[in-house]
Amino acid sequence: MQPTNLIRAGRLALFLTLIALISWEIFLRHKNITISYDDNEALFADKMAMIYGPSEQETVFIGSSRIKYDLDIPTWEALTGQKAIQLANVGSSPRPVLEALANDPQFKGNLIVDVTEPLFFSPGALYDGSTRKKIAYFKNRTPTQRFSFQVNHVLESQLVFLDQDNFSVTAMLENAQLLPPREGVFPGLYFPRQFGQVSFDRQTYMTPEFVIDTNLQVQVRKVWARGIARRGDPLPADKMNAIFNSVKRDVDKIKARGGRVVFVRTPSSGPFREAEAKGFPRNAFWDRLLTLTGCPGIHFTDYPATANFICPEWSHLKPTDAVLFTQSLVKILREEKGWTFPVKPEKS
Amino acid sequence: MLFNSYTFIVFFIVVLILHNLPFSWKTKKINLLLASYIFYAVWNPPFILLLWLSTIVDYFVGKALYKQENKYKKKLFLVVSLIGNLGMLCFFKYGGFILENFTHLVNALGANFHPAKPNIILPAGISFYTFTTLCYTIDMYKKESKPVESLLDFSLFVTFFPHLVAGPIVRPPQLVPQFATPRKANAQQLTQGLFLLSLGLFMKVFLADGMLSGPANTVFGAEDPLKTIDAWAGVLAFSGQIFFDFAGYSSCAIGAALCLGFVLPQNFLFPYAAIGFTDFWRRWHITLSSWLRDYLYIPLGGNRHGTFKTYRNLMITMLLGGLWHGANWTFVVWGALHGLYLWFEKAYRDMRKVKAVNIFPEINKKMVEGAFPVEMGHPKSLSNFLLAMGTFFLVNVTWVFFRSPNFGAAWQMLHSMFVQIPKSTAVLSYLEIIEVSTIMLALVIAHWLMRNTMVLKVAEKMPWWLLGLVWSGMLILIALSQNASSSFIYFQF
Repeated sequence: MQPTNLIRAGRLALFLTLIALISWEIFLRHKNITISYDDNEALFADKMAMIYGPSEQETVFIGSSRIKYDLDIPTWEALTGQKAIQLANVGSSPRPVLEALANDPQFKGNLIVDVTEPLFFSPGALYDGSTRKKIAYFKNRTPTQRFSFQVNHVLESQLVFLDQDNFSVTAMLENAQLLPPREGVFPGLYFPRQFGQVSFDRQTYMTPEFVIDTNLQVQVRKVWARGIARRGDPLPADKMNAIFNSVKRDVDKIKARGGRVVFVRTPSSGPFREAEAKGFPRNAFWDRLLTLTGCPGIHFTDYPATANFICPEWSHLKPTDAVLFTQSLVKILREEKGWTFPVKPEKS
Repeated sequence: MLFNSYTFIVFFIVVLILHNLPFSWKTKKINLLLASYIFYAVWNPPFILLLWLSTIVDYFVGKALYKQENKYKKKLFLVVSLIGNLGMLCFFKYGGFILENFTHLVNALGANFHPAKPNIILPAGISFYTFTTLCYTIDMYKKESKPVESLLDFSLFVTFFPHLVAGPIVRPPQLVPQFATPRKANAQQLTQGLFLLSLGLFMKVFLADGMLSGPANTVFGAEDPLKTIDAWAGVLAFSGQIFFDFAGYSSCAIGAALCLGFVLPQNFLFPYAAIGFTDFWRRWHITLSSWLRDYLYIPLGGNRHGTFKTYRNLMITMLLGGLWHGANWTFVVWGALHGLYLWFEKAYRDMRKVKAVNIFPEINKKMVEGAFPVEMGHPKSLSNFLLAMGTFFLVNVTWVFFRSPNFGAAWQMLHSMFVQIPKSTAVLSYLEIIEVSTIMLALVIAHWLMRNTMVLKVAEKMPWWLLGLVWSGMLILIALSQNASSSFIYFQF
């Protein structure tokens, strides 16, 4: 029996689709592009589900993008013997996650809070809404979403083109920037792909290409420069007090259940550092935060080992520096803040 | 479970394999029923109890209704079924809405009543399966068809996963007879089913979610008055989004059923090429409009009791049809606008003595089998095209009420669409405006060109290599869209 039009078309469609997708995958790999996971609500929820383990075996990290770049998770886990659960979110204040952890009676663990002042003390950072959606997704995850996540993980671990931020049709159209920005419309934040690769444990890192290519670094600096230029007036005192008080309330809840909280000011450099120092003077923000909450803090400028990092694009550490920063962080926590870990320090 | 999820792909492959293994027909039906329960339960397991309750109550009440000769007892059984089904729907879907309106009313009368806001989760698909079971008991009451003998067949009719959560809303005579004898898709049906599944996913994943939802959300989420071009682009984006989302779901449902050898009724027939609103409602969500016709409009009296009552019945049907879509007065106004348009059209037809047509569609056997209803064919003249564009324009105005969260937002959107506001805001990029315009232009042209036919007929007439290219293009764009998890809009209804 002769196959019908539709059956012949179906065979052709299958063949062409496979050829096209395989070719696309080979092309991307040929360009040395590696696997990067979508840092979406499903991946966030997968990590958030891990926070209920024994406190001596894990530490939760919340914050903005800096801690995602600056904490090298394999280094942390090797030095401490603890799992690092990365719950920080790009472009977002850690406060929504802090609030969720504080209101979760099951969470009693170790918490490290990254403080990037312009985001931490913002009444509504650019991606706070997206962070709240991630938390809601975690709370309402259905069995089918969990199963889909597992299947997606298998596929994403094998196929480079399944990188939604860079290789979905909409992302490619937007990133191509074929048209000029429209007057009055927020032009979006366009970062080069090489700036942010994401591992399955939600660590973000720069590619080797980005670390050596100053043109790519300048592209990112321009985005930061636009952000610095757009900074509005300081927040009125009552609104800022409300932010401080909400942080204290949340931290107190976690501490009351036996949890430990440490604030960390991760490195920045160049004009970004200058703008932060000017807009958020240390005594009025960092020092006040520690005093109010009664929590220990680690400010990168206070330690010779961390004070002199140069961020390639002013705001995040390159992967090799992230390893050094993480080593210092563990050392400070252990020697100065009294934290103990399953792995004992090597005697020098 | 969503059709656009990896879970569904794995699930469907397993179901297809089981359905094609040499089991007895009864075993295969049990497999399908269990699969349907899994399909539903993986969303929110406890709500499966509601589905079971609805199935069991209506199975036994249906039988009793058919056999019962005593008029009063018969009515009592019908009331039990109506209370069971509509009570469940009212509680879960309209509970908060009723309480909110009651609170407004008593406070307006001077009382100081401020109850806590109920936190009720809407079970997926409740509006759809309630209508499916309701039509069965009403048919039994009217003895319009025979009761389903086997509880297995009845359960499968209610729960069959392709139509369970968002339709098409099936009637017992459309599906139950298909369970009587073994069914398995042949190669042609399987390919047709896979083609419809691909088309549905392309519409949902690439067009609705990938291209149109962003601009629609941005525009309808804006707080300030918008520039006219932004407002129109947003409304057109939503117009396309809701069509691709829902028609995409229906295509997936029909395709999935076809892969298993079952035929479900058509739900969309190129509605944006409708000439007038009667034509629109015969092309948009056909299974709902035919349900409303048979179980609401005709029982109210239809057009049998004079002009005034015909107009009244029409409006009641459209108002309740609007409310079915959501517990908000904006949906009621959306229905009212459609009712008004239908009034004007009917008045015009009566005045011009144009041949009367049925306002709501009747789904006959041929249509279920994929034949285009001949009576809906119109010549493709320029005047008809202009009428279709006029209808499309008015449909877009109604979508403003459908999509806006409240009347303030709806009025502001209409104001932005029709008036140049001095200090208005631009929110869409040039790229988004071009994407929306291109897709909507292509959509309207495609609907116009295909308005007198069916998708599968067009596909089968195309040269195989061209169809293969188009099909492959859709699959590649689905793979490169990667929006594999967002819910269908009609799930919330």
